[in-house]
Amino acid sequence: MLRAMGRDKASLDRMTFDNLTGSLLLLLLLVSDLLLCKSVASLPICPSGAVNCQVSLRELFDRAVILSHYIHNLSSEMFNEFDKRYAQGRGFVTKAINSCHTSSLSTPEDKEQAQQIHHEDLLNLILRVLRSWNDPLYHLVSEVRGMQEAPEAILSKAIEIEEQNRRLLEGMEKIVGQVQPRIKENEVYSVWSGLPSLQMADEDSRLFAFYNLLHCLRRDSHKIDNYLKLLKCRIVYDSNC
Amino acid sequence: MVECTLILTPAASGFFLGQSPPGKPEIIKCRSPEKETFTCWWKPGADGGLPTSYTLTYHKEGETLTHECPDYKTGGPNSCYFNKKHTSIWTIYIITINATNQMGSCSSDPRYVDVTYIVEPDPPVNLTLELKQPEDKKPYLWMRWFPPTLVDVRSGWLTLQYEIRLKPEKSAEWEIHFAGQQTQFKILSLYPGQKYLVQVRCKPDHGFWSEWSPESSIQIPNDFTMKDSTVWIFVAVLSAVFCLIMVWAVALKGYSMVSCILPPVPGPKIKGFDTHLLEKGKSEELLSALGCQEFPPTSDCEDLLVEFLEVDDSEDQQLMPAHSKEHPGQGMKPTHLDPDSDSGRGSCDSPSLLSEKCEEPRANPSTFQTPEGIEKPENPPKNVTHTWDPQSTSLEGKIPYFHVDGSKSSTWPLPQPPNQHNFRSSYHNIADICQLATGAAGASATLLDKTDKHAFKSSKTIETGAEGKAAEQREVESFPSKTDQDRAWLPPQEKTPFLSVKALDYVEIHKVNKDGALSLLPKQKENSDQTEKPSTPETSKEYAKVSQVTDNNILVLTQDPRAPNLALFEEQAKEAPPSLPQNQAQIDLASFTAPPGNCRLQLGGLDYLDPAGFMHSFQ
Repeated sequence: MLRAMGRDKASLDRMTFDNLTGSLLLLLLLVSDLLLCKSVASLPICPSGAVNCQVSLRELFDRAVILSHYIHNLSSEMFNEFDKRYAQGRGFVTKAINSCHTSSLSTPEDKEQAQQIHHEDLLNLILRVLRSWNDPLYHLVSEVRGMQEAPEAILSKAIEIEEQNRRLLEGMEKIVGQVQPRIKENEVYSVWSGLPSLQMADEDSRLFAFYNLLHCLRRDSHKIDNYLKLLKCRIVYDSNC
Repeated sequence: MVECTLILTPAASGFFLGQSPPGKPEIIKCRSPEKETFTCWWKPGADGGLPTSYTLTYHKEGETLTHECPDYKTGGPNSCYFNKKHTSIWTIYIITINATNQMGSCSSDPRYVDVTYIVEPDPPVNLTLELKQPEDKKPYLWMRWFPPTLVDVRSGWLTLQYEIRLKPEKSAEWEIHFAGQQTQFKILSLYPGQKYLVQVRCKPDHGFWSEWSPESSIQIPNDFTMKDSTVWIFVAVLSAVFCLIMVWAVALKGYSMVSCILPPVPGPKIKGFDTHLLEKGKSEELLSALGCQEFPPTSDCEDLLVEFLEVDDSEDQQLMPAHSKEHPGQGMKPTHLDPDSDSGRGSCDSPSLLSEKCEEPRANPSTFQTPEGIEKPENPPKNVTHTWDPQSTSLEGKIPYFHVDGSKSSTWPLPQPPNQHNFRSSYHNIADICQLATGAAGASATLLDKTDKHAFKSSKTIETGAEGKAAEQREVESFPSKTDQDRAWLPPQEKTPFLSVKALDYVEIHKVNKDGALSLLPKQKENSDQTEKPSTPETSKEYAKVSQVTDNNILVLTQDPRAPNLALFEEQAKEAPPSLPQNQAQIDLASFTAPPGNCRLQLGGLDYLDPAGFMHSFQ
């Protein structure tokens, strides 16, 4: 007497066959990884909050530079997409002159000025710029979400930039703690007051507010990236990158 | 758009000579090679036939002063070079070109330039190529270069990434490789005896690609052997192992895989259709099996919807797919039963019309019906040797019953001695009744059948003893059987004079009244019964009495000239609740009331019975 209950025998056989195939593929993948891949040096990562973790300055700077480079790439892409989609023919570029909230911070404007500034001051300057962008990035994300037909590409980049900016700030504070532990600077940063402009009812004005914000974000992220690379070559590689 | 201003000077006498103010100039591009200086180039408009001078004016973001281009020469004609002193990064320049001639001037549209985003370096320099052939390693081509001279990479002001490309001299397509931030590169796969051309270019971290450097060439010697078979050996081994495993898996699980892909097609199955019967040729049983279903189905029929299936692994499994869900759960039936594993096995637990079922012990003895107002015959005819007294019989007594025997002809069963009763067949079906009706010869009997719960079930052929037998109308006792089955039976009919005169005669169905009583008439011989015809309606015999039942299950009937309203086959209402089967009975009777011709057809031409045979056995 045969008795078949629930699933038939064929499906059970199929399940075991699928398991067998999956394990085979995994085995193949492992073997191929071992044979073909070169070893990748893994950076030791300190869990955040671990005070006693000793991470070398070189790795801190390397990681910070990677983050700042990534943030600027995202900002540039976000600006280009917004410009292409919303700002064509509106003449926003003529109005976005001297309208960034961080222009009050006295940042170096060329290479000579940047090389003359002391690295501790430059570090603090970087921190100030980064802190100045916490609030605008937060509101940028929420306001882009509320836009009609919220563009997914721009929104996702804004969210990513906000998160990476926070991580970069943490990394910079670590670097500052290592480079100049004795000086504890008050948190100085530029206050952003552009939120009402982002929420204006007039579409043209609101779009210009977005354009301006993205334009300033692109510029400041480039500044941070440039300063960090300068500092890295100066501090870690002794100006011999 | 800034309109060009037409400034007519007082000495604009040239106007009459076809001269005009200059056309609108346009800035083509601005570039910075190292993010420390930049240059802008413009395109002049129409000059209007007069020498035209161009000036570049600009002002910076956050300033109000307008400056003029500091250097018109370094960048070439129609250019403006901004040196380090005049260059600010992260600042927007608003630049305008002014074209002026004797007739007037025209200004271009302002251009907004940020040096941060216009960086395009020069190509890398000093590209060197070298063939290296170490002893125990593979030979390769080694190339190196240097960043462009103006770019400051050491301080980190700019970070460059490189790209190289190479091709054999005569090839049309370049092979491009990304080199990252390193300033050297190795090429492994080269064709010996070829001359290769190599170029390199660079890109700042957030800027434009430079132009390709000038070509460098190198000749590969002929003895430049390249062996790169390790990868192929590895790939071959891996695929062989993989194929072996696949073959092994298929071999092990091949059948189940195939059955997954191509599941077996279930054969068609008709409920109640028994192919085994079909093969035997018993069409009557086959058709009776189809008519088995009672309506509405009882609760037993829910067995048809079981989730899982028990397949009887006997030799009778030919029609059952293993996973069919429509088939009812099969109990453990003895194998001698019908091989039809479908509902023909009677999962509804209804009275099956199959003959084999009737042989099961659960076939109950017939129930007898006490006809109302039936008088017990007091004096059976003399020639009835065996009078049947139902009251004196035991429960298993001489109960005339009809059973269908496929091998026998349709005849009325004779009354049997009580101890010879074989309660195998409890049911009739319509076919049997038809057989009964048409088979009765020479006697008219009323067949009343009102089953309570169960339909007629054909069990055996019914043999009737018609005229010639002093079948007495008998009281019928109701036997409370286990299943309360009813029996249809023909009351014997007395027709003493007729019987005594003729040794052999036939009965035919005269009519069936609404109570289901079958009225049988003796068949009239054409030549001799002319005179008796008028008498026959008067003496139309409504009933036939069963005088006896022989051991061959042959019912001997006699004609009963008494009250025609004796309904012998009424069921005892109290014994069996008339419920659904009563409808069934009525349905059966309804079909029963079809003209005898149908019954004849059904029976295959057996019209009349010869009671002479009964007489012999009887006596």
